[in-house]
Amino acid sequence: MNAKNHNSTRFLKKLGSGVITFITAGMALFWSIPIVWALIASFRPANDAINRGDVWFSSSLSVENYIRAWSLAPFGQYYINTVIIVLMILAVQLVTIVLAGFVFANYKFFGKRWLFFFILLQMMIPTSALLAPNFATIRWLGIFDTRLAIAIPYFGSAFGTFLMRQAFLEVPRDLVDAGIMDGCTWWQLILNVYLPPSVPALVAFGLSSATWHWNEFLWPLIITNSDKSRPLTAGLVRFTQLGEIGAQWALLSAATLMVIAPLFIMFLIFQKRFIQSFLHSGLK
Amino acid sequence: MRTKKSYFVILGVLLISLLAACSTTTPNQPVVQDQPDPVEETTSSEEVVSGEDTASVEETEMDPVTIQVFYPIAVDAPITDVLNGYIADFQAEYPYITVEPVFSGGYADVQTAIQTTIDGGGQPPAMAVMLATALYDLINADYIVPMDGYINNMEDGNAYINDFLPAFLENSYYDDQLWSIPFQRSAVVLYYNVDMFNEAGIAVPNSWQSWAEAAQALTVNNGDSTNWGLQFSSDWPYWLFQPLAIGAGQNIFIDDCHVAFDDPAVIDAVQFYIDLSAEYGAMPAGVQANWATSATDFASGTTAMVAHSSGSLTSILNQAEFEVGVMPYPGKEADTYASVPGGGNFYILNGAPQEQQDAAWKFIEFLSRPEYVADYSIQTGYIANRFSAYETNVMQTYVNDVPQALATRDALQYAGAELALQNLGQVRGIFHDYIQRAINGEMSAADAMTAAQSEAEAALVDFCP
Amino acid sequence: MRSRSARKQFNPLVYILLAPTAIFVAVFTVWPVLLSLYQSFFLQRMNIVRFREPTFIGLGNYITLFTDQYFLQVIKNTFSYIIGTVPISILLGFLFALLVNRKLRGIGLFRLAFFHPMVLPMVSAATIWLFFFTPDYGLFNTALGFLGYSGSENWTGNPNLALLSVIIVAIWKNSGYYMIFYLAGIQNLPSDVYEAAALDGANGWQVLWRITFPLLRRTTVFITTIAFIDAFRTVDHIFVLTGGGPSRSSTVLLFELWQQRFEYQNIGISAAITVIFVIILLAFTITNFIVSERKEG
Repeated sequence: MNAKNHNSTRFLKKLGSGVITFITAGMALFWSIPIVWALIASFRPANDAINRGDVWFSSSLSVENYIRAWSLAPFGQYYINTVIIVLMILAVQLVTIVLAGFVFANYKFFGKRWLFFFILLQMMIPTSALLAPNFATIRWLGIFDTRLAIAIPYFGSAFGTFLMRQAFLEVPRDLVDAGIMDGCTWWQLILNVYLPPSVPALVAFGLSSATWHWNEFLWPLIITNSDKSRPLTAGLVRFTQLGEIGAQWALLSAATLMVIAPLFIMFLIFQKRFIQSFLHSGLK
Repeated sequence: MRTKKSYFVILGVLLISLLAACSTTTPNQPVVQDQPDPVEETTSSEEVVSGEDTASVEETEMDPVTIQVFYPIAVDAPITDVLNGYIADFQAEYPYITVEPVFSGGYADVQTAIQTTIDGGGQPPAMAVMLATALYDLINADYIVPMDGYINNMEDGNAYINDFLPAFLENSYYDDQLWSIPFQRSAVVLYYNVDMFNEAGIAVPNSWQSWAEAAQALTVNNGDSTNWGLQFSSDWPYWLFQPLAIGAGQNIFIDDCHVAFDDPAVIDAVQFYIDLSAEYGAMPAGVQANWATSATDFASGTTAMVAHSSGSLTSILNQAEFEVGVMPYPGKEADTYASVPGGGNFYILNGAPQEQQDAAWKFIEFLSRPEYVADYSIQTGYIANRFSAYETNVMQTYVNDVPQALATRDALQYAGAELALQNLGQVRGIFHDYIQRAINGEMSAADAMTAAQSEAEAALVDFCP
Repeated sequence: MRSRSARKQFNPLVYILLAPTAIFVAVFTVWPVLLSLYQSFFLQRMNIVRFREPTFIGLGNYITLFTDQYFLQVIKNTFSYIIGTVPISILLGFLFALLVNRKLRGIGLFRLAFFHPMVLPMVSAATIWLFFFTPDYGLFNTALGFLGYSGSENWTGNPNLALLSVIIVAIWKNSGYYMIFYLAGIQNLPSDVYEAAALDGANGWQVLWRITFPLLRRTTVFITTIAFIDAFRTVDHIFVLTGGGPSRSSTVLLFELWQQRFEYQNIGISAAITVIFVIILLAFTITNFIVSERKEG
């Protein structure tokens, strides 16, 4: 793999590695300014408001903003809600996509092409476009303002099905045949033959699904109206709309960082895995 | 790259739960089933707590009733804590009633939440704090009930109602019925830096002319940045703009079915707003999305005057190191002034059962007591909305310390009604659209307001047969 | 590969295993489209008592929409937004991928810098950027001034810049995400092609344009598809930054849909917008599919 790196960037090296590094560093710095600023601003003492020309460090650091943000809205409950929603979606998705991916990879059957296309429809029409009619469905199901209502439209995943099918197709046929010879039932085939080599694909999907649903905003905003089901993103937006007073940047930054923190820290720790799982996910 | 163990750290539980028989990998299974439990317990333990609350009212004869109150937070004050304190007092007095406050975001969020609850087939809360201007939307949708019955049942209902500052009741009546009770109310005011005015030897303005000239004189350009004489946010323009129109002699609407966007006085006011930057150079040009920063700029002394909500008084006073003056906008003619109220009222929701509505009224009545009105004003910066509140000791001490609090109240005597009419969201959207075009110089003031008038009339047709 | 599954007799099991996915897709993707299509032929407005019960009006809602200057502007805004975000974020993604595809100590930090916006919720990102766009506080303007720009300061309040500010945030957030896909693509390129090119004495640009970019065509098609759909379905930052204004200049299709349904309570119009939305999406994905298949063959 390193040899390839070497080749694809040979022309860059001719330009001078140093210059490139300098440019890269400059752009990386530029790209990081927002998050760095938010971090700094969030530790400003509340009595030292951000003023024109004085937007970075204050004379002292303070965690006041975090305490106030925490007291202004039930972030603890929001965390719980978000985590439950993300895990609920992930748990159901892993079952549905593995089963569907397995069927499409392993069997030939009547209507296969059509069914595959039918499921892919979900990839073409993102759920957000359908929020009005889906709202009606949720009302009909009687689960308005629950965590389940936020999660349920995502229980089936065309993208996941597609990804798992690709991953399962990579599994050598010999292994599958051997499994059948051993008398494995279908679920044993999945568990012992198909799944083990497909874990990276599953992880890749899991990470992107978790990220996506952690960050989702519009649907939860519509389908929740109380703190018992509201996730972090919908909770955060309340802060940006503090109506009659001016937005307080330090407070907002603190609230924003609290929302970001868990996923972001996870991302920092598992950064390599995060990125590698994308590199791995069969996009060749 | 085979670091499967850490993959399992991430997906852990979920993956393991998929593993079943055929050969080796099953010993972890029991771990899985423990996992979801803690979460389940948290939820159920909360339910137990609230169950105990309702159970603790055996001695009263009334059946226990629990009401929900949806409320927004629109000012920088610990509203939740304050309300919880009041609720504790209230429940001590009415042990059979349990009040559950539900923080629902901003005003728009509260209304959307109630809409979607009813839309979603659920039962709405017994009461909610929503914008006074939401009146017609709420009546049209049949979401709220009138309160006249409760007022008539009071010993002296008239005295109760007449004690509210009249400007705050402007948007409470429709069809001769009373639909809401003022709660957290504010007004548009002009803050000015008294020290700057004194240093420059400028008198406090009393007309558009003197206002614009003062703003011009107090604008200081220091090279890369300008200390403006006046800042006037226009990303959500109708509210701050209304006192300009009122000061020119015509509010921007007439009644719930008629707007006056193309009235010469309104056009005049739009032109004045534009002139403040175009002619006098006293204000940044174009639509200003500076609701947040204009108040901070004023408080830090980089802007001489700012048009803002009276709700910002507390935070401005906390930051400012100069004497802060508060007044209504000067009107077009000398010695005329104008303002407009804002903020939220209590509503009782239609879909709630009768006993909850009755309990909600008890709570509203309780919070209208002068001592609570005074306390709420002091703690939050809202204008105390009843005359009797100003006679309480706490309030008198407070206005001694903070005379500006009286100035905000006094601005209200010049107030017209806040924009409230049928199909409010759309009509207001049309007004915003065109006034912003005028402010940004895409259309002339007259053209923009004429177009706004005809679009607004079209948007009102379905609502005003 | 295609012949791997020999068993093609009727097997109820496959339908049972497919059922969960198929049912969820049917209930939350196909049914809502049909429901919207049906509702779009009716006048139904929840905030007017006499229009609360649906009345059949044929194509009335569509006629209303397509004769409404404002809705046409929304369509225009939507396409401006897409044209503004998709190509630039893809190009930047490609550039970043080239820049960080090196063996260098600390290169992970650079990747992190480009990639991290992707894991932030859009509302958080927009909240931070809101400050950067604030006139006079001018962090963004300061940065632009550094690059020689001294134009307007008033980003979210200027009708010509409001949409652009929304676009900038989207680009900032998405480029790193597309970088990952390009990085994956670059690292999977066959090395022998490059060796041959090197022997032929091709220079850097030639290698880049004649070899790297063409070989990454499939990646690019894939990224374009997700970028396009993402541009359609993300309006979170508009809520925070501009609320669709000023003068509705930053209102895009999904934001309008939300507003019609949940603010104005207009079921008929919102259903019609949903249908238009779905048609545009299908038209795009199907075109995209046909184009990529044809070139493939």
